[in-house]
Amino acid sequence: MTLTSFSFVAFALAVALLSNASRNTQWRSWVLLLANAVFIASYVDRPLQLAPLVAFLSLCFASLEIVRRRPSSGALWSALTVLVCSFILLKKFSFLSPAWLLRFPYLSMGLSYVLFRALHLLIDARQGELKESVSAKDFFNYTCNFLTFTAGPIQRFEDYRAQRERPIQLDEGKVFRAFSRITRGFLKVAAVSAVFNNLFATISGHLLDPKLASGLSAPTFALALVTAAVCYTIYLYFNFSGYVDIVVGVGWLCGQELPENFDQPFLARSFLDFWSRWHMTLSNWFKTYVFNPLLKVLAGRFRSAKAGPYLAVVAFFVTFAIMGVWHGTTAIFVVYGLVLGAGASVNKLWQVVATQRLGKKRYKALAESRPAIYSSRGLTLAYFALALTCLWLDLGQLRTILGRLGVLGTMACYLGLATAAAVGFFVWDSFSARLRLLRVGEYELFRGVPARNLGLALQVLLIVTVASFFHKAPEFVYRAF
Amino acid sequence: MKLIVTQVARLLAAVSTVYALLLLACLALVPLGTGGARLDSAHASNSLFLTEPKYVFLARPQLDTATDKLILLGASNVLVGLRQEQLQPRLPQLEVNSLAVSGSNITEVEQVVDLVLEVQSAAARRHTIYAIGLWYGLFADDSARWNTPDRNAGDTDIDIERYRYGFYRRTPNGSVPLLPARYLRAGTVLIHPYLVLDRAARDLTKSLRDSISGKAAPMTDEQRNRVVVSKAEQDKFLAFWRDYMGSTDELKQSQFRTLRRVVDKIIASGGQVLLVDLPIPAWHSQRSALWRSYASQLEPTLAALQTRPGVAVLRMSDDNRDDDFADEVHPRPRVAPLWAARLAKTLNSEGDVRQANLLGDSASGPHAE
Repeated sequence: MTLTSFSFVAFALAVALLSNASRNTQWRSWVLLLANAVFIASYVDRPLQLAPLVAFLSLCFASLEIVRRRPSSGALWSALTVLVCSFILLKKFSFLSPAWLLRFPYLSMGLSYVLFRALHLLIDARQGELKESVSAKDFFNYTCNFLTFTAGPIQRFEDYRAQRERPIQLDEGKVFRAFSRITRGFLKVAAVSAVFNNLFATISGHLLDPKLASGLSAPTFALALVTAAVCYTIYLYFNFSGYVDIVVGVGWLCGQELPENFDQPFLARSFLDFWSRWHMTLSNWFKTYVFNPLLKVLAGRFRSAKAGPYLAVVAFFVTFAIMGVWHGTTAIFVVYGLVLGAGASVNKLWQVVATQRLGKKRYKALAESRPAIYSSRGLTLAYFALALTCLWLDLGQLRTILGRLGVLGTMACYLGLATAAAVGFFVWDSFSARLRLLRVGEYELFRGVPARNLGLALQVLLIVTVASFFHKAPEFVYRAF
Repeated sequence: MKLIVTQVARLLAAVSTVYALLLLACLALVPLGTGGARLDSAHASNSLFLTEPKYVFLARPQLDTATDKLILLGASNVLVGLRQEQLQPRLPQLEVNSLAVSGSNITEVEQVVDLVLEVQSAAARRHTIYAIGLWYGLFADDSARWNTPDRNAGDTDIDIERYRYGFYRRTPNGSVPLLPARYLRAGTVLIHPYLVLDRAARDLTKSLRDSISGKAAPMTDEQRNRVVVSKAEQDKFLAFWRDYMGSTDELKQSQFRTLRRVVDKIIASGGQVLLVDLPIPAWHSQRSALWRSYASQLEPTLAALQTRPGVAVLRMSDDNRDDDFADEVHPRPRVAPLWAARLAKTLNSEGDVRQANLLGDSASGPHAE
């Protein structure tokens, strides 16, 4: 049941209606359990294909019980090792011998996010923050929530539990906001991301075809690469943020307040700022469970006050490298991890050195100047867009492209894209500021029930129209990670 | 719960209202799409349907008449070589329709037959002769032919049209119609705004798309009559077809079984079939391992099918003078009338084709009604 299908819309509507059929919170959790089971089962043809997921969930649940009852470091580390190894095996990482792998097709979608949630529970249990026991039903509903199973957002367990115990409180305004959010999500996924995916596929098809690529001059080749990278980035953003809009909107109707995953990432003024706005729940997870403990360990080992800021540089590198590697199972994702790590650590290093050289006040004044803001935004987008090429190239293709561009060509691509992005952001901001002056949304005419619903209807028709131009429904890209 | 139901009702009402207004406006401004007096997919680009697959899919209801008709099926060499307007005057006793689709393989030909059968009554089916243009490209394996990044693996161009407006739905066992064939005309009226928009969008962006794709303008008939295929171009064509067919030198038997199934289906429906072995230039057949594989598998297939009542075979592969072709497959425009004459002669003749009772038998012909 893909998220962009009519069957999902009908399914989500049915779950929302059933969830609201009674004010009893127990009823709602049973409805959620049934919905989760149906949603996951819709991805398989035979029950056997679910066996690895069921086994993994059982292992996670058993580990949680052990750590909760005997909260020792030994128990936690043993559980972490077993779960991470099982995950690597089930995700078929490319360095594993085929002899170790299961030889039948099975569902591996959602395993990453199940693992994130399970590790969060285990670590919190070890730290004594998980006071009450977690029932099997709660564990299943939390780790396999049909709205977040595919690709998050990663909700914290305490938030899940708190909302589970609250009755649903809907009013006309909230219901409309939910429908509006869902429609916007579909518009992003089925229209905007589909258009950019189409552009990306066309351009990257030329780039990756050796015959066609050899006919391109060096500047055209570089321009095509940069354009493909930008199209892929826009596609990824609208695809993923659209997915989040859909699940958050459906969540509101079902009594779930799911966390936000995006906060206008293209306003980010640095690479580190970018990651506090993009896939925020994943970034927060890594900050809580990798960056902070690592920094603590490093600080314990290197106690010099001068070393402090540089320890963060190291911790950022390691954290982002792991986050990059998590995205896939092949060697290219190691490169992606190293590129992300390098970006984060250089960014931190720049902050440390610039603050030391200029002083806090002058550094802040510099960072707040208009040229600095737009150039930082341009540099950030360019770095991220070029880093993302690792998600659509394999190692051989990356080597060929870098070989053709050379160091100077690669730098020219980066700086050219950064400049174009900075100018683009400036133009866009000026245009939106003028648009905001019109204050269209404030007119009473546009706020009545008929006008609001006509606005939604136009969006629905736009989605159907754009979808009719394409030959297949757009895939939700993050389900692959 | 009531709040959600109310909001769903409001949204549905708003969508219906906006769409009804759009539909009325489009119907007032642009006439409904039709396939013309006789269907001819070669002219699809001039119709509101725009592409050959969409034309075949949406214009087919007019084939549901109990008059004798010929339906041409196949790929682009049928569109170019067996032109509807050249065949019709030579076959006044038949309504000549062309439902050939460029780039078709035999799987897609079978789908076109299914689409026709779906809209025809039993009486109309008995008045239909299908002429299927065969050549080795028609036997491309599905996994090689229908596997591009912009489509679901295995979806033919006809499948794409089936799903595009929700007239069919995808199931693990193939496509299933959601809209019964008898309502296809009504369905086509309902999607009129989309057809208008598609046409307008394509017309408005044509020059932009052409400049991006770097496609050369199509040759005129005069140019096609004069063009000479160089040795280097021959090599390029041969490499292209080998790649197109899945980088293989052997055609799969399964595609020939599909041809048999298509024939069985037509015969079972009461229709008749003329299998036309189309020529390609001699240089092409001499240098292509795929053609040899085709020839060796086609001969026993045709021999077996030919014995069946309602099936006839026309072998045109001897018309393979290099100079008669504008490229590696398509005949020059000046040659098309000769192909049409040959096909018409076969359909009109008293020779061996009559054994197949191509509408000459009173039991299955129009006079039986």
